[in-house]
Amino acid sequence: MATKHKETPESYPTLGRWMNWVDQPGNDRKIFWALVVVCIAVFALEWTYKKYAYFEYDSVTGFYALYGFVMFAGLIFVATCLRVLIKVREDFYGNKSIDIEEYPEDQIQRRDHNA
Amino acid sequence: MLDLLQQIPTAFLFFAAAGIIVFLPHGIMRNIFMLGTPIVAGIQVWTMGMGEFATVPFFGFDLELMRIDKLSRVFVLVFCLAAFLGNIFAWHLRDRVQQVAGLAYAGSAIGAVLAGDMITLFFYWEGTAIASVFLIWARGTEGSFYTGMRYLIVQIASGVVLIAGVALFYVDTGSIAFENMELGSLATWLIFLSFGIKCAFPLLHNWLQDSYPAATVTGTVILSTFTTKLAVYALARGFAGTELLIYIGTIMAVFPIFFAEIENDLRRVLAYSLNNQVGFMVVGVGIGTEMALNGTVSHAVAHILYKSLLFMSVGAVMYRTGTSKASELGGLYRTMPKTAIFCLVGALAISGFPLFSGFVTKSLTLSAVSEGQYTYIWLALVFASAGVLSHSGIKIPFFTFFAHDSGKRPAEAPKHMLWAMGITALLSIIIGLFPNLLYALLPYDVDYKPYTMEHVANQLQLLFFALLAFAVIYRAGLHPPEVRAVNLDTDVTYRKILPSVLAYVAFFVAALFRAVTQYLNAFVARMITRLHHSHGPDGSRAASWPAGAMVMSIAALLGLALFVIFFS
Repeated sequence: MATKHKETPESYPTLGRWMNWVDQPGNDRKIFWALVVVCIAVFALEWTYKKYAYFEYDSVTGFYALYGFVMFAGLIFVATCLRVLIKVREDFYGNKSIDIEEYPEDQIQRRDHNA
Repeated sequence: MLDLLQQIPTAFLFFAAAGIIVFLPHGIMRNIFMLGTPIVAGIQVWTMGMGEFATVPFFGFDLELMRIDKLSRVFVLVFCLAAFLGNIFAWHLRDRVQQVAGLAYAGSAIGAVLAGDMITLFFYWEGTAIASVFLIWARGTEGSFYTGMRYLIVQIASGVVLIAGVALFYVDTGSIAFENMELGSLATWLIFLSFGIKCAFPLLHNWLQDSYPAATVTGTVILSTFTTKLAVYALARGFAGTELLIYIGTIMAVFPIFFAEIENDLRRVLAYSLNNQVGFMVVGVGIGTEMALNGTVSHAVAHILYKSLLFMSVGAVMYRTGTSKASELGGLYRTMPKTAIFCLVGALAISGFPLFSGFVTKSLTLSAVSEGQYTYIWLALVFASAGVLSHSGIKIPFFTFFAHDSGKRPAEAPKHMLWAMGITALLSIIIGLFPNLLYALLPYDVDYKPYTMEHVANQLQLLFFALLAFAVIYRAGLHPPEVRAVNLDTDVTYRKILPSVLAYVAFFVAALFRAVTQYLNAFVARMITRLHHSHGPDGSRAASWPAGAMVMSIAALLGLALFVIFFS
């Protein structure tokens, strides 16, 4: 893949140029704070309806929000620990696995977008 | 015309088309068959109505090749749809082997779904195994050959276990009908195990993550649709309401998300994710109420679409860059924006965001779980829903199309791939917006409203706060980085440990064998030398032998011969 050619966002397809907004400096922070605002908004939905609880704890205010946040963080933590235990080199299974193989070039069509 | 069409079992349509395209040249003619066959098959099943058709005598059994009821019909229709979409995606393909295998595979899976008895089921069950392995071998590398072999062994084993179970079942009950069974006898356990292998139950699951990333770009899209969902159908038909399945399904839904989180090969991430999604379906089968089974079936339909979509988008990236490894990708939205958007639709659908298909289908199963008051199961499944967001919802689109810029600037996916992804994405949205279209096809009447304020608010809270957790962790630099590595799973037992144990055993056995034979050889050689020394021509004993010893011994031998002849 040629990557050294001179390129500017102007050479991207229109849609790609628009989406390039996310990589403008400072916009990642905007996205993050927008997410925080959305989270507050969906949390506020809590008081707009009457909860029908199947179990004792899902009626607790903000149960889903808290559960989602904590469990997701827990998931990433546990997965990170798991990696320490089970990570091995990419050629662990040698030639009996596709992990270290290149995908056959005759079956794909590599193309650079402004080629 | 339609009458004539209805005489032919649906699976045979696919086999006939597969037979015809062998002789067709590359190009448009072959593609017409690739796309036309699923359409014709879908129309056929849709117009035939419910009932049992095409009964064939076979060694004293009556085989039912076409049982169409509400359960089998919806599976056949979505299989046809998925085959159609997958073949659009594979429009560029000029490989006869893959095209024939793809049609035969789809035909076998559809035949298995329509099978009214377990002998027919067995034939098609093995058919899916044999046809599908060519989609892996078609990659044509050494690694794919070995992977295909492992895949084939597992799949064929599943069929062998199935036919053993069916034979015992026939001995027990005198019937081969494929109806709901109770776990209890050896026969039903064997059948259950066979379904479990194909369904990728925990500890039996590794064939899935091993083989799907090894198939071709288009092959994986086709593979992801049939085998596991056929197993889900078989469980729903044969073991609905088996409580054990609730626990198996829950483990299935939970454990793969940890592996998916740290896996580098994105197609393997999707394979883990597939495992996790099938877990939800298995839980639904285990609960077995009408609502739960509706949940399973609708989830299977939605899942086939969005999972195909995700495999297509990663496949398209692979087609342009030659890799599906997260560590090598990133920032591709710049030049593949359409693929990125379709991938995002798939991600939103699988994560169960409202307005997308996952939300209106997975919530059926979850509601059935909460109505059944399975507290811990429900908690685990809600956790698993957040887990889906982590790997399929965030990891796949984020690390492929966003995150750090890999510097790769591939061209947008070819038009036919964009069409395939676009239609699939559109269908995922349509199901999300108008769930009643799908609900109408389900085996039982649906009395469920997914879009209540409560459902939507709960789901949004779960997902957005999980997203927030991701954002916080990612910004803090604590998210596990994408690195080139392989993660061990249970397949290390039969890919590494067992062979090395066998190698040790073989070494010791060989050493022992060598030692014993060497000792025996030496013993015999020593004995001969000693005998020669004492009884040989120059031996001390030879001196006392009479000269006529030879004559005497020949006379004794002839006497013995006479004796034997006389009495025989």
